[in-house]
This record gives sequence, structure tokens and C-alpha cells, in this order.
Amino acid sequence: MSYREAVRDALSTAMRQDDDVFIMGEDIAEMGGSMGVTHGMVEEFGKERVRNTPISEMALAGAAIGAALQGMRPIAEIMYEDFMTLASEQIVNQAAKHRYMSGGQLNVPVVFRTQGGAGWSPGAQHAQQLEAWFVHIPGLKVVFASTPEDVRGLLWSSIYDDNPVVFFEHRTLYGIKGDVPAKIEPIPIGKARVHREGEDVTVIATGRMVHESLAAAVEAEKEGISVEVVDPRTLQPLDEETLVASVKKTNRAVVAHEAVTKMGFGAEVAAVLQYQAFDWLDAPIERVGARFTPIPFAPVMESFVVPHMETVLEAIYRTVTKKS
Amino acid sequence: MATEVKLPRLGQGMESGTIVKWLKSEGEAVKKGDALYELDTDKVTQEVEAEASGVLIKIAVPEGEVEVGRTIGFIGDKGETVAESAEADSAKPEPAPVERAANDVPHAATNGSKGSEAAAPAAAREAGGRIKASPLARRIARERGVELSQVRGTGPDGRIVAEDVERGETQPATAAAAPAAPAGEVESRPLSNVRKTIARRLTEAWTVPAFQLTVDADMTRANQLIARYRELNPDVRVTVTDLLTKLCAQALMRHRDMNVQYTEEALLVFPSANVGIAVAAPQGLVVPVIAGADRLTLAQIASARGDVVSRARDGKLRSEDLQGGTFTISNLGMYDVDQFIAVLNPPQASILAVGATRDKVVPRDGDLEVLPMMTLTLTCDHRAVDGATGADFLRTVKAYLEAPGLAL
Amino acid sequence: MAKVESKTTLAKSDLPDVLREMLLIRRFEERVEERFRAGELPGFLHVTIGEEACAVGVCRALEEGDVIASTHRAHGHTLAKGTHPNELMAELYGKQEGCSHGYGGSMHLYDVERGNLGANAVVGGGLPQITGAALAFQMRGEPRVAVAFFGDGATNIGTFHEALNLAQLWKVPAVFVLEDNHWAESTPESQHSPIRDLSDRAKAFGMKAIKVDGQDVEAVYKSTRQALDHARSGKGPVYLHLDTLRFSGHYIGDPQVYRPKNEAKKLRDTRDPIELLRAKIALPDAEFEEMDAEVSEIVEASVEFAKNGTDPAPEDALKNVYA
Repeated sequence: MSYREAVRDALSTAMRQDDDVFIMGEDIAEMGGSMGVTHGMVEEFGKERVRNTPISEMALAGAAIGAALQGMRPIAEIMYEDFMTLASEQIVNQAAKHRYMSGGQLNVPVVFRTQGGAGWSPGAQHAQQLEAWFVHIPGLKVVFASTPEDVRGLLWSSIYDDNPVVFFEHRTLYGIKGDVPAKIEPIPIGKARVHREGEDVTVIATGRMVHESLAAAVEAEKEGISVEVVDPRTLQPLDEETLVASVKKTNRAVVAHEAVTKMGFGAEVAAVLQYQAFDWLDAPIERVGARFTPIPFAPVMESFVVPHMETVLEAIYRTVTKKS
Repeated sequence: MATEVKLPRLGQGMESGTIVKWLKSEGEAVKKGDALYELDTDKVTQEVEAEASGVLIKIAVPEGEVEVGRTIGFIGDKGETVAESAEADSAKPEPAPVERAANDVPHAATNGSKGSEAAAPAAAREAGGRIKASPLARRIARERGVELSQVRGTGPDGRIVAEDVERGETQPATAAAAPAAPAGEVESRPLSNVRKTIARRLTEAWTVPAFQLTVDADMTRANQLIARYRELNPDVRVTVTDLLTKLCAQALMRHRDMNVQYTEEALLVFPSANVGIAVAAPQGLVVPVIAGADRLTLAQIASARGDVVSRARDGKLRSEDLQGGTFTISNLGMYDVDQFIAVLNPPQASILAVGATRDKVVPRDGDLEVLPMMTLTLTCDHRAVDGATGADFLRTVKAYLEAPGLAL
Repeated sequence: MAKVESKTTLAKSDLPDVLREMLLIRRFEERVEERFRAGELPGFLHVTIGEEACAVGVCRALEEGDVIASTHRAHGHTLAKGTHPNELMAELYGKQEGCSHGYGGSMHLYDVERGNLGANAVVGGGLPQITGAALAFQMRGEPRVAVAFFGDGATNIGTFHEALNLAQLWKVPAVFVLEDNHWAESTPESQHSPIRDLSDRAKAFGMKAIKVDGQDVEAVYKSTRQALDHARSGKGPVYLHLDTLRFSGHYIGDPQVYRPKNEAKKLRDTRDPIELLRAKIALPDAEFEEMDAEVSEIVEASVEFAKNGTDPAPEDALKNVYA
């Protein structure tokens, strides 16, 4: 099953069994979504439950929140992660805070699905990775799955979580195929996954970088460096226990994400590791991410800015090198 | 027909021996297996057995040096007679280390780190006294009571990393022992056969085209390792020589071209490193061999060395103890010698002379550091080994000494 | 407090009660102002003095199951929707007994049981969510209406346009109540809006608009009933434009330097919804005073209740972040 199909499968299965689940977003009906995720769904579920919206991210997000306040489980699709900026007021000021401000009277079981990432020169306003903003908001849960199995199981859990979930997908992952269980197995929110075990250095990676890191691990193995690759999968809440245990085992860490390195999600992970595994660190924690620029258009520049397998590999080497 | 008693080749490379004394007299009955005569091979004095029964009709060579294969006697029936034959002494010189101080040999401060992460390790201690060490290294040092200031860092910018602490040990004081020569009137000591043989072999060794390479090694980590080893193995007292034996054995296996014996027909390349250790035995210098030192642990080497050294001092070495050596280490450090050049031990291609470990002021990255330095001088037979080969090997030895973990 | 009326207009017999309700809000807000000035109330507060007819008129018209979302000026709506003054006052004092249990304060008053989905400190913040609540009612086939209150200042913000646009597009059962007091904080309407009649905003969405005098509680009630019927019957949302007046400053303590000094006074004298109703039903002074004493007593008791309330434990701040 492809990642794209896995998302669709989670949405469709939930909608089949539960009238309260519905999806809304721009161009998700007949067009099947800008990334083809909801292809075929309007035929199965009808326009009421597969709702096209105008280009109105605030209304789109807010309406989803309003419906969720009434106990429905809407999944709002924000077409590009960059447009989360427009929906942010409703997500951050409203969805994240209703439960708290009401002293526990309200739940907001809404999911905001969005996709982002560079590759194929989408330009600076269609390529961002903004998870750092949303993991920073108490009241929101943030999920970022990197495989078909994970995205399906986690989207399911997100739909049925009573909290607002920001659910990130990565555009370059939609086509990847992977094995999935015959029936949807919910994956718990807040649990990391160890993709590959190793002894010398832990690479903690999200989204596309999970796959880049696995490739880097294969290369590093040839040099005799044994690399462990861990995907947190849920960014908020973070599975600190698994990440720290891994670094305590290997004594070295690389945190890799496609988002800009500076002030990014990786900084939080590095701080957590530094604090909880201080006496186990044999090298400074490395961070891999995009350089501090908007994403450029020209392919050579885009490629220069965003991280790749080689960037992860270099970071791995820096953790084991004796050179200054 | 009488059986000729020929001088046997009791060991590979043995060219001759010195008959010390006959244990049977002419005309005496001899049974096969009886001790017939005492033979001195310049390494060991041993009894040689009769290989035939009968009567020792004739002693052709009563004593002195005889080349291997020469007839030295006859065993036959009573009443038989034979002709004498003269022995020619064409033995190759027996190698023995010579004490030769060379005070003005410069210290070669080569930088020899090994491994894929070749580096020029800077000082772990920054100017101002702060030691750079990873949190993990600090914790391990704390747990083991290791002084970080004694540990040499191999991480970036000389940072001490975990493995540096794990392999580093504090340096104990190396024992020095040099008994004072008794004062008194001039005593005349006749040259023993051993001494004569040494003199002869020495002189001839001097004619071999040899070259010497000198290097200084930082013994910080080696000393720490030895101290640690002693902690872990209190029964076996590991010494610098033991460590050197092990490291040289590993280096010999890495540089197979060094692990050779020279013959005129061919270079014999040995599959394992049989390291000889020069020992001052009462009768003179002997070089028992620790065979297969590359496969032995440090404790095993120490144990073997302890055994042969005590037997050497008791005069109880066997010929097999002396055979098959491919390399010799001569350590005069315990005699406080700074540096010397050892004489080759043919047919071995090289010999390592080791001096005392001394604290020296060493410039590092613009700072002056006080480090325990040991001078090694490698003498190589240029017929067997070229300069680069020897230098490469010596660099490895130095690297191993400075980071023993690389070899162990 | 909120009575369910099934009639299209208020019954004459109900008017005294309606007056009482408005008077309660008035006295409550006056006391809140006074207590704030005494330094007892943390945060900032926005009182609804002068706009009581809007809150009471609209909320009285709602059916069981209808929901509201309010603005930063929420005390009137909250009381009119049925929250007891004790719970409201306790919330203003930050007590556990408050309707939001001390977590929200004046601008985040919630009473979900009574259909109050919360006051909102972000101008226009609640509007898209009312569209969403109405959507839920529509999808589930429930005969419920979602009602949003907002001010004239909010008619300029993005959420207003998006929410109303979407609501009309999908014809959801929502009523958008504009409490047009002609001031956005310190900015008069003439300076924040390029159009003079804010009912015209509804035209941009093709939405039915009803405009009414916000100081006339009967008129407010009647037009709200109309709007609700329209929405509830599936004909789509309604834009209910209440022309009202804010007697006080934007917030308590606002010196209103931006307002002509006598304007507020003049308005009070002629456009006070309570006085207007009182005159209309010709309530004898004695009855009025009795009513006044009664509601004042209730307000007093609420202050007592609040002051004797329980402070949350500091660690309670860690609760309720996630479900």
C-alpha cells in the first residue's frame, strides 16, 4: 500500500464506520485533493461528508473546530503546510485552548491534515516544514508519520483522539509503498519507532529524513559504523523515553529533520537528550536540517538548502571522528 | 664400523657449538641415550646424548667450537680405531646486544597515529587548565578513579573520549635495578666459551649492513594500561617489556616484511611473531623466544616471559626456548639507559633497543607538556629490510605504544 | 434565567421579567466595574452597560439546544443564556466555582451545559466555529441553531468574511448577531468601515439580513425569532444587525478620551434599554425599586459567593491541557 493510499484508507475506514467522521478541505471532492489523497472518496461518501471549501483556511479550520465542539470528528485538510499560517489563529487560539479555558468542559476532537516539504522546486511559499511552531502550543498534539503503516495507524489514532491533532504528511512520501497489516492497527500517539538497531550512534529522524537516514546508515555500516535509526512519529507528545534509552546505548546522537535546523524541533530533542543523557554522551549532539534560508526555486539551490542522505552521513561521521 | 658422533644441529640457525667437556672418556662404554658431552651453543649449555651404544673409541674434538656436522667422536666396538679430523670454526657470530650509549642521537618526534581517523592529537588540556573531555569520558573516569589529567585525548581538538579513559591507566613507577659493581682489586677472569662466542659473533655481526632508526614514544597510556593490567591480574606482574613484546608482535603481523629471517638463498617469512627477549643471564646474555606472541594475551606473555627469564637466570633454558625467533627486544630501561643501539641477532632481520621512560618537556600545539617519553632504536639488516619498511614498522610500534588499544 | 419562548413575540406578561433580567445584568456590570476599581478583579474586563436588550432579547428567543458563542464583552450573553450570577462572579474572581473553573476569566466564559460555547478574546474568533457548529447540526439533522455575537469592529476581520461566506455557501443553521455599538475600541465606525450601513456586509454573501433597534428588547426578540426560524427551517443563516449603544468605555477604566464628553450621557438619557422598557410597560416606581433591590441583592450575594470561593491550587494549572 502506498502512503497516499494508507491515508485514504484510514479516512475511509473511519468514515464507513462512523457518521460523525467527515472531511473538508479545498479541492478534496471531485479532484480528490491536490495530492490525490481523497481520490474516489466523494463517490463513496457523497458531498456532505467529503466537503470542498472555498479558499478560506480560517473558516475551514474554524468550522472543523465548531463541528468538533459538537462532538463530530472532522478532518480538515489544509492543502499546503505553508497555509497553516492562515489557519493558525483558529488552531492555536481556539482549538488548542477551548478545553483549558473552559476548565475542562469542552473537547475538540479535530484533525488538521496537511502536507509540506521541498523537492520539485515548489518555491518558498509551498515548501515549508513548520512543525516547530505547533509542537510549541500546549493543547495541540502533533504527528508526523513516515511510512504507510505508520501514517495509517497514526491517522486512525488521531481521528479518535479527543484532542486537536496537527497531522503532518510529506509530499515526497505519498508514493512510497510499504507493507501494512491487513486490518488497520491503531498506533498509539506518543510512541517512537526504532527502524534499525545499531551500536555506535543514534539518528533520530522525522518525515522524509527517516528514509534518508536509513540510507545513510547503510553507507555508514560499510565504514564499520553501526547506526540506530529512530522515528519519534509523534512530535508532541515526544517519546523521550525511547529516544533517551537509545542514546544511552550508543552514546552519540544525530537529530535529522527537513525543517530549518536553527530553532527547530531538533533543538528540543537535542536539549532533551543533553539533559537526560548528559553523562552518556561521548560527542556533541549533531543536528541535520535545512539551512537558514527560505526554500529557493532553482533546483541546484533547493538541493543545497535542504538536507539529504549525505548530510546525515556527514553528521554521523562527525560524531565518531577524532578530527577537529 | 664405528659410528661417527657428529655435532648435531640442535636449533634452526645453529651453525656451531662449543664442546665444553666430555662426560665419557675414551674407551668407556656408552649406551644409547647416555649423556655424552656438554655442548655450549652460546645461548645455553646442554648435555648431548649418545646416539649409539658401544665404546667411545675416540674423542676427536675434546673441547672448543665445532661447526655443526663435524665429527667429534666415534662410538664403536672395543679395539676399533679411527682417524681424527680437524674442526674449523666458521660459525656466524652470535648476536648479542651491546651496550653502546649514544648520547647525541636526536630524539625523533614522529607523529604516528594509526587507523582510519588519522589525527594529530592536540593536548586535551587547554591553556588555562581546563581539560576537554566528553561527559561520558568524565563519568567513566569518575567511576574508575582515573585522573583525567593523566589521560591522553584522541577526540577532536584533543578531547578525551570514553575509549581514551577505558584504555588509559595511571603510570606506575618503573622499576630500575642496577646492582652496583663491587669495588676491589683487579680480577682476571678467563673468557668463558660463551664470552668467546659472543665476542666472535658480535664482531661478525658488525659486518652486516645495518641501519638504525630512532623514535620517541609517549608512554602515558601504555603505563596506564600496565597499571590497570596489574590491578586486574595481581598474580602476573605485567611489565613494559611484556607490553612491548605484545605490541611488537602485533606490529610484526601488520608488517609481515619485518617478520623475516635472512638467508643467502631467501628471506624466510614467518607466519607468527616469535619475539625474543634479551635476558641478562649469569653466564651472559641469552635471548629466549616467546613464540606466537601475536596470539598471546598480555598476561600470557608476562607469564611466559617470567618463566623463561627465571630459567635463563638459573641456566635451565632448553634449545627450543631459543629457537625460531624473528625479532628481538632488548630493554635496558631498567638500567636507566636513555638510548642505545642493539646489534642485530642474525638471522633475524631486526632488533629493537628500548631505553628508560623519562618525563620530558614536549612541545604540543604551542604549549609545553611534560610527558613520559621512551626512546626506541630499531636496528635493521638492510639485506632483508629497507629503510621505509623499518620506518613504517617503527611508526606502528610507536602508535601502538601511544594508543595500546589499537593493537590489543 | 433564560426562558424558552415559543412565541414570535414576547408576551406582555413576560415583560416585567424581561426588564428584571436586563436590570440584573445592569446591576451586575455596575458592581463589576466598582469591584474592579476597588482592585479586587484581576485581568481586564469589558462591561455591557447599555447593550442589555441585545443579550436578553436574543437569548430569550433561543430554543433548548441552541448554542451561542460570544465576544470579549460577554457578561450579558452569559447571564442571559442562563449562567447563574454566582458562577459568573466567581469566574471573574478566578475561583474554582467559576463557570470556567478559574481557567478562563472574563473573556473566556464557558457554560457548555447551557449552550454557551465560550466568550472569545480574539475579535471574530468564534465566528467560524459557529459556522462549524451549525454545520454539525445540519449534518446530523438536528433542529438546532448556532448563534454568534460579534461587534461592528469584527465585520472587518478575515474570520468574519470567511465564516459568513462559508455559512451562506452551505446554508447552515446559524444566526450572526451584530451588536453594532458603532465603536471598535476607540475607533468610531466611520473610521473603521468604508460602508455606513453594516447590514450591507450581508449582501456580499447573499445572506438574509435583518436590522433592528438594539435598545428595543421586544424588537430584538421578535427579529431573533424570525432569524432563528429562517435558519432552523434550512433556509440558511441570517445576519441580525442590532443597532445598539455602548454607554461605557471599551473596558473598565477606559477614560474614553476619544469620545465626545457628553455623548454617553446623552445616550443614557434617551436610549437606555431598561428605561425604555420600564416606560413602555409603565412599571410603577415602587415595583421597579423592589425589582432593583431584588436584583441588587442577587448581585451582592454573588460577590459574597465569589469572595468566599475556593482558589485553584497552583498545580491545577497543569490540568485540562489535554483530554
